[in-house]
Amino acid sequence: MCKFTIMVNKKLIKDLLNESACSHNKTKKSSCDKPKPGATSGGCAFEGAQISLFPYADAVHLVHGPDTCLGASWETRATLTSYQGENNTPLGYCTNVTTQDIIFGGDKKLSAALSYIVEHKNPKAIFVYETCVTAMIGDNIDYTCKVASEQFGLPIVAVHAPGFVGSKNLGSRLAGEAVLDALIGMREPDTIHPYGINLIGDYNVTGDMWQYRPILERIGIHVVSTLSGDGRIEAIQQAHTAKLNVIVCAKSLVTLCRKMQERYNIPYVSVSFYGKRDTSNAIRSIVNAFGDADLSARAERIIAEEEAKLEERLAPYRLLLKGKKAILNTGGNKSWSIASALQDIGIEVVATSIQKATEEDIAIAKEYVPIVFKSPATEQPRLIDEHNVDILLAGGRSLYTAIKKRIAFVDVNQEKKVSYGAYGGLENLAIDVCASLRNPVFKLVGKSAPWEAA
Amino acid sequence: MSTAFSFKEAKTDTLKPLHVNPLKLSQPMGATLAFLGIKNCMPLMHGAQGCASFTKVLFTRHFNDPIAIQTTAVNDISAVIDGGERGISEAIDNITKKVSPDLVGLFTTGMTETKGDDIKGATLLLKEKQKIVYVHTPDFEGGLESGWSLSVQNIVAQLITPKTDVKKAKALLIPNVNMSPIEVEKLKEAMEDLGFEVFALPDLSDSLDGHLGVKQGSLSGGGIALSDIEALGDAGIVVTVGRSVQKCGELFLEKNAQAKHVHCDTLMGLEASDRFYAEMLAYLGTCNVPNSVKRWRARLQDVLLDTHFILGKSKVLIADEPDSVYSIAQALREVGAHVEAFIAQRSDIQEEFTCNVRIGDFEEVEKALPLVDMLISNFHGERLAHRYHKALLIRGFPNYEQVGVGLRNSILYEGSCTFLCEVNNLLVHHQSSQ
Repeated sequence: MCKFTIMVNKKLIKDLLNESACSHNKTKKSSCDKPKPGATSGGCAFEGAQISLFPYADAVHLVHGPDTCLGASWETRATLTSYQGENNTPLGYCTNVTTQDIIFGGDKKLSAALSYIVEHKNPKAIFVYETCVTAMIGDNIDYTCKVASEQFGLPIVAVHAPGFVGSKNLGSRLAGEAVLDALIGMREPDTIHPYGINLIGDYNVTGDMWQYRPILERIGIHVVSTLSGDGRIEAIQQAHTAKLNVIVCAKSLVTLCRKMQERYNIPYVSVSFYGKRDTSNAIRSIVNAFGDADLSARAERIIAEEEAKLEERLAPYRLLLKGKKAILNTGGNKSWSIASALQDIGIEVVATSIQKATEEDIAIAKEYVPIVFKSPATEQPRLIDEHNVDILLAGGRSLYTAIKKRIAFVDVNQEKKVSYGAYGGLENLAIDVCASLRNPVFKLVGKSAPWEAA
Repeated sequence: MSTAFSFKEAKTDTLKPLHVNPLKLSQPMGATLAFLGIKNCMPLMHGAQGCASFTKVLFTRHFNDPIAIQTTAVNDISAVIDGGERGISEAIDNITKKVSPDLVGLFTTGMTETKGDDIKGATLLLKEKQKIVYVHTPDFEGGLESGWSLSVQNIVAQLITPKTDVKKAKALLIPNVNMSPIEVEKLKEAMEDLGFEVFALPDLSDSLDGHLGVKQGSLSGGGIALSDIEALGDAGIVVTVGRSVQKCGELFLEKNAQAKHVHCDTLMGLEASDRFYAEMLAYLGTCNVPNSVKRWRARLQDVLLDTHFILGKSKVLIADEPDSVYSIAQALREVGAHVEAFIAQRSDIQEEFTCNVRIGDFEEVEKALPLVDMLISNFHGERLAHRYHKALLIRGFPNYEQVGVGLRNSILYEGSCTFLCEVNNLLVHHQSSQ
């Protein structure tokens, strides 16, 4: 069986899984465990890498492997960009490895594919994603990328996150490593801004980043680069000149930030832009890191302005939402960040599910919500009855619970169409929750049929 | 793993070293759908967790319904030290701890085929614990259609008990992967109206038709029962629809040589519908059809005439799985439309096309688009249709934009009427808004 050399950097992966900046690693050996056969949901490392890097719209993203990896995943995420050239984010490039390539090796095809891309497109960089099959057949992706990079005078970055090395989270970390090694520090800016920051871990899904980036800029903060929402290759190459790294609602890139602190002396803060309180606190955390009284004063003024504007807009919804009770069932940081946002629009969050949350998220969730629960299937219906809940916010699988209990439902896991981020997004959340509460459909569809006993 | 080099493939496949905006979906995805058409079944994908996750997300968004699927979650260590049986056995243990599937559909991916896992051996070892059908579906070969077809072939071969007697009115219907849940139901009804007792294998009309059910997607929500599959051996007739599943019918005859195999490449349009009824009536030895069939045929005749003014002058580009493109192309050709076709993978049906047909990706589609009036493709065509100001009809997988995709009927006399009217009206609407 063991005839293949698997091109995986075991040491790097072990280090990433034992990240010292991860709170759970202080107490437990590791909770970033291997997935269990037959009891696993969620994406693989490749998907994590893809999610983290695809928002670079000015780079071509070439997946080196057979169909499934890309065929099923391109053009699926609403990560918006303001890039004026050809937007590569919703496009799919794949070497389509076939039987012949598996026998003879895929390096030639990869090299030809890179030439084709350079000839027909005008990317600022090319990311090459290794997949399980090309890792197993031992393609020398690093070498092929290096040769092509020198030939075309263009950054061509190999991303070693084949699906089988682990979860989505690990894939994001590996993508961060690739960016750190191949891009960051490769370009010097004309001027260095005194309040320059990098936004790490926000992928600008539905334009979330655009809800708060202009506010930061009004305060006087300069965004040097992003990883990777509305991101640019040239900008991330200058990321080492920022004064602060801001991790937005994502724990997976904490290793990158720790290494940037070691290598470039850039400190980092971790923030969330969901809800009014968290948005204001996020702005304060960023500004306070600079320790500049003028900047802080300006920030407070703008926070006050934005909060007042928001309250005015929220007033009509508050009337409708007053006294409404909700249960939240979602994963990761959403188990507390959305709870906080719901509280900000006047909803009482009775309970939140921590089934898919990390230890760190569970700790935070407990600060926001009185009840946290582990098994939604059994506890959700009971909690709805006990607390007279009005609305369930969960993934599609819980819809039937809401119908059976005849309460309103908001799908929080569905690919959202509008942003719930920062001050502006909070109004969108209020609109969606109000629309659900007012909708007669949840009571109607649960009605028994004329031929059924009532 | 087949290693034969196909000259035909080299000649007709795109010669690019990559796919840009791929049209193709993979074999394991086709296998997933096939097993979702069996009641209380758990599709188990033997590969890294991502293969199953991507597949689950795609079909969940396409059908707007929960999708049952599990994975053996092969990791970089078990990829080297395990021949597959440990991971598979562990997966079966973990699945049966939570649910009791009637059947587990075990199928491979590119990675587990590259390492050469013995899934047959693993299935035999677990025989006492769980009923399993195993299928080899590497994603570096074939595509959605072949993944579905290979699964059905293996279900037929591994599950059906051979028989020598037949029940004349018992029919086995084998649809291709492109048929919507409601099309399977309509076809079953059409045959039931002729007096058949019909079993569809797989039967998505009961599982992915978008009905409100109590199930939360831990196992397939409906479909043909395992006991019904095992007892299919005495079916008097097997009807296969679509070239990709023709072989499934041939394999069925090995279970019962007395059965008759009727194959239809398509059921769209007047000629195809006529041929279907001619075959059914010849088999039954009758000329009686329900009145509604006669009425729908007459309506289709009228629709053909009503739509030929617009469609007869239109140029349509179709990009989808081969059987789907062939069906749509044949229906549009009946009213004189000019058709350009792109197919996702190589197929025997290529020989039958009466229009230009190529294997390609959306980059090729984009090049051909300026010369046509309308694009028929999956939702990835939307961006292109907008950019080039073309009418768009969304067909095929995936369709993230629209709801009700499982309820769309384009087959036989009735469905062909709906289809032709829809295409006609979209073109008119598009022309008037230009």
